[in-house]
Amino acid sequence: MSRRGPRAVGCFLRGLKLSLSKPYLAVALWLIQLMLSAALILPISNTLHSLLDRSPAGEKMVANPDYGWWETLRRVHPDVLGNFPEIATGLLSSEGIHWSELPGLRGVGATAFSLALLAAVLHAFALGGALGALREPSSSLVTFGREGMRRMPAFLVFTFASLGAAFAAYEWIYVESGEALRSRVKDLHTEQAALAVTGLRLAALLVALAAIKLMADSVRTVWVARPDLPPVSRFLFGIGGAIARPLRLFGILGLYSVLTAGLYVFWLVLDPSAGGEARFALVPLILAQQAFVFVRLLIKIGYYAGISEALTRSPSPEYSYVPVDAAAARAASAPAAADEAPLDRA
Amino acid sequence: MSAAKVRVLAVALLGAAAATRLRAQPLPPPVASYQITCRLDAEKKTVEGTEVLAWKNTTSRPAATLQLHLYLNAFRNTLSTFWRESSGEHRDGSLPDSWGSIEIKRMTGSDGTDLLPAMRFIAPDDGNPHDRTVAEVILPRPVQPGETISVTMDFSSVLPRVSVRTGYKDDFFMVVQWFPKVGVFEEKGWNCHQFHAASEFFSDFGNYDISIDVPARYKGKVGATGQRVDERETSAGRVLDRFRQQGVHDFAWTADPSYLVLVDAFREAGLSDVQLLLYLQPEHASQAERYFRAAKAALSGYGRVLGTYPYATLSIVDPPWGTNGAGGMEYPTLITGGTAWSAPKSIHRPEGVTVHEAGHQFFYGLLASNEFEEAWLDEGFNTYMTGRVMNATYGSNRVDLQVFGLHFPLGIDIHFPLDTNRRYFEVADWDVLASESWKFRNRRSYSSHVYSKTALTMATLERLLGTPAMDRALRLYAERWRFRHPTTKDFIAAVNESTGADWNWFFNRTFFSSGIVDYAVAEAESKPAVPPRGLFEKDGKLTAGPPTNLAKARGYDSAVTVVRRGDVVMPVDVLLRFEGGRVHRSRWDGEARWKKFRVSSGPRLLEATVDPDEKILLDADRTNNGARTEPDPRAATRWTARAVFWVQNMIDFMTVAW
Repeated sequence: MSRRGPRAVGCFLRGLKLSLSKPYLAVALWLIQLMLSAALILPISNTLHSLLDRSPAGEKMVANPDYGWWETLRRVHPDVLGNFPEIATGLLSSEGIHWSELPGLRGVGATAFSLALLAAVLHAFALGGALGALREPSSSLVTFGREGMRRMPAFLVFTFASLGAAFAAYEWIYVESGEALRSRVKDLHTEQAALAVTGLRLAALLVALAAIKLMADSVRTVWVARPDLPPVSRFLFGIGGAIARPLRLFGILGLYSVLTAGLYVFWLVLDPSAGGEARFALVPLILAQQAFVFVRLLIKIGYYAGISEALTRSPSPEYSYVPVDAAAARAASAPAAADEAPLDRA
Repeated sequence: MSAAKVRVLAVALLGAAAATRLRAQPLPPPVASYQITCRLDAEKKTVEGTEVLAWKNTTSRPAATLQLHLYLNAFRNTLSTFWRESSGEHRDGSLPDSWGSIEIKRMTGSDGTDLLPAMRFIAPDDGNPHDRTVAEVILPRPVQPGETISVTMDFSSVLPRVSVRTGYKDDFFMVVQWFPKVGVFEEKGWNCHQFHAASEFFSDFGNYDISIDVPARYKGKVGATGQRVDERETSAGRVLDRFRQQGVHDFAWTADPSYLVLVDAFREAGLSDVQLLLYLQPEHASQAERYFRAAKAALSGYGRVLGTYPYATLSIVDPPWGTNGAGGMEYPTLITGGTAWSAPKSIHRPEGVTVHEAGHQFFYGLLASNEFEEAWLDEGFNTYMTGRVMNATYGSNRVDLQVFGLHFPLGIDIHFPLDTNRRYFEVADWDVLASESWKFRNRRSYSSHVYSKTALTMATLERLLGTPAMDRALRLYAERWRFRHPTTKDFIAAVNESTGADWNWFFNRTFFSSGIVDYAVAEAESKPAVPPRGLFEKDGKLTAGPPTNLAKARGYDSAVTVVRRGDVVMPVDVLLRFEGGRVHRSRWDGEARWKKFRVSSGPRLLEATVDPDEKILLDADRTNNGARTEPDPRAATRWTARAVFWVQNMIDFMTVAW
């Protein structure tokens, strides 16, 4: 008997539907990110107001960025950003960035980077909450908080392990290969050939990053879906789940990536923040920005729901969805794993 | 015959016709002329040649020696002065371990005297005993004033992998600074500097007749200084190209079987016709018109100001991928460009390089100042003129964002000449501009001063003089000193003469200073005027309260403090803008550290600006050049919103997978 699983598109669409049916999950993520970035509002705002409010540069800067102002800011106030712009553009370069550049971060630039690391920790909590809430037909923010706290220790480990793996992949696959090939790339006959080599390095990195992400997401999903198994078994099942369904999982990730990239392209083409006040007044601009972030997070939750669907839906019986009553009966009869202390029943 | 070939043929015919219609332009009498026959070994990457040098002593003193540049020896080993100064880094990043050298195997005088035993290496600039880039030959008898001698040399040049202008990559050859070249004999003696990391060249004018023997696969694919007068097949599998050019001071050539050779012509009323030869890489075929348009813009823009380009040809070489070190360089009647496969049209990258290098023909090529000692007279003046031509032809540029090697324009304008030369401000007080090239703190300071500070200084001068007066000064300088190696004082004299004023103060504060220019509006306030209080004389007695005519205050009392934060003094305008459209403009000599401007009982002051017309482009911080009395929070608020939004996205990017 054929055991074809659900297609990637189907999983992803069902995931999006689930995400839309539980919008509080995207709201929770949105709030986490907003709160984190809010920490930078005051330093950025105060700096900009002191530099622009009375300066002749201010008028030029209302509509569009002014290169002269930017260069002067970098030179006269190096402590505002440090080498943050170089690191950001370095990420898009053929050579990549080296970790030795991080000490060059300063001020707002350094804070932004630290916030991103803090965000990784908070996302470990948020993912536990989201995956737990997605599995329960009648869940709420309480479920989200409970599941998030319950999974947080394990999810933190997964998060930092995969983050470390991603950094290592970047270093070894992209940066090191770039250094090793630097002189050989110059020896290639044409620039197009050199661009192709960069493209191959980038593709290898993206495949590796995607594999790391899918492994991590698979482990997280199984971790939530099979609380009856010991941790090592759940971990191995998670890895196995990713290996057993590579096309389906890559497909979902691909759809998620394309949709998100399309959203950014749409934003950049529409460019509601450019062109001065005639195009978008401040309040509508901020609302549009936050609406954009929220839609993106709805898609993100949809992706995780899609992964959960792909790994646990019929006909994949090993991680089949278990109705809540049965799950409760089983939880009552089966011994819980060590990290499954019933936080909400204490 | 394809349409493309027909087009190339038609353009070639047009170009040839243009070249023959060239009006005779006076060229300089020869001082150092060369007749060279050389052979390229494309596999061994060597050039073997025989050179006949005819050198004339144009000074009033006899020359007991002959000094020769052997530039390729800069790449001989890591002990050369060039390697020591560059620390192994140059135009194209790290220098590869690919060595070059030049060796004179035989040297005889016109009477057959063997001169080689009398040759020794010297290091006049730094005394480096390992440097082999300058050789001195003690002559059997001194060369008398006005006398011409002939020296014949057999030499062997080993080319390095291209990293600094010269060398090879696969079948591509850029053969420059490749033959023994005589220094410049002046009244004070030989001017023959070593090859430095931060310097270009200096030599006398002469006539060149160069025959180049290359493998047959290079047939039609050899470009060089001057005009090709012959190309014929010789022994098995070889081709001999012969080029001639009068009145130039160097000779460069290139060969690459991959070249697409395209021809066009520059024709403009009042200027000489020029045949344009483009040696283009196939992957840049779509950019041919961009190269030609830029070259024409340069010949027109520079020619209108500095006088017509006198030679019949201008060759443009497009170096292949991996040879950035060969790009963006000038030689007499031949330049190298620089572009990228994905160069967007709005970034004007090949255009900027082409205009700049073609522009060198008018400074380096025709005036031939000493680039070792006064590099700004070429690079800096040319950078200034590049900005003018680029601005007139293309308008502002765009910020270039490189994404994994592909180039994309960001929606941020870069204006000539200020934005394109901002690198100067980062090192503004590191060096005095008027320094010998190898004495700058490092190559960054050298290029920032020589190119950018000079360009900003010249643009500032133009704004102070007015463009017509600036053009008259440049024209006088260029015409008076064509082919005569002018110095900085010659330029200053031309400015003083053409304007009828003494501008030495300006050059003392710019060319001969490392000071920073920075004027700022420190305070600007406007308060409702209040009636005076206290005791006032009334009918011979002191009474409380002002008299009737002073009792009612009107308008606003405004005060503006303008400060000089930099060391360098410049005269500046100060503009006060009031409510109702009234403006008040004052001139300040800028000498004191600060000056206060007060307006009593006037309309409310809105804004004060120092240097409102942006004349002083050397001002290191223009963001402090003005102040509003009332803050305008729009820009800061909008950019705060944008910044927070992108931080949100960055946070999500960092956490998206993990």
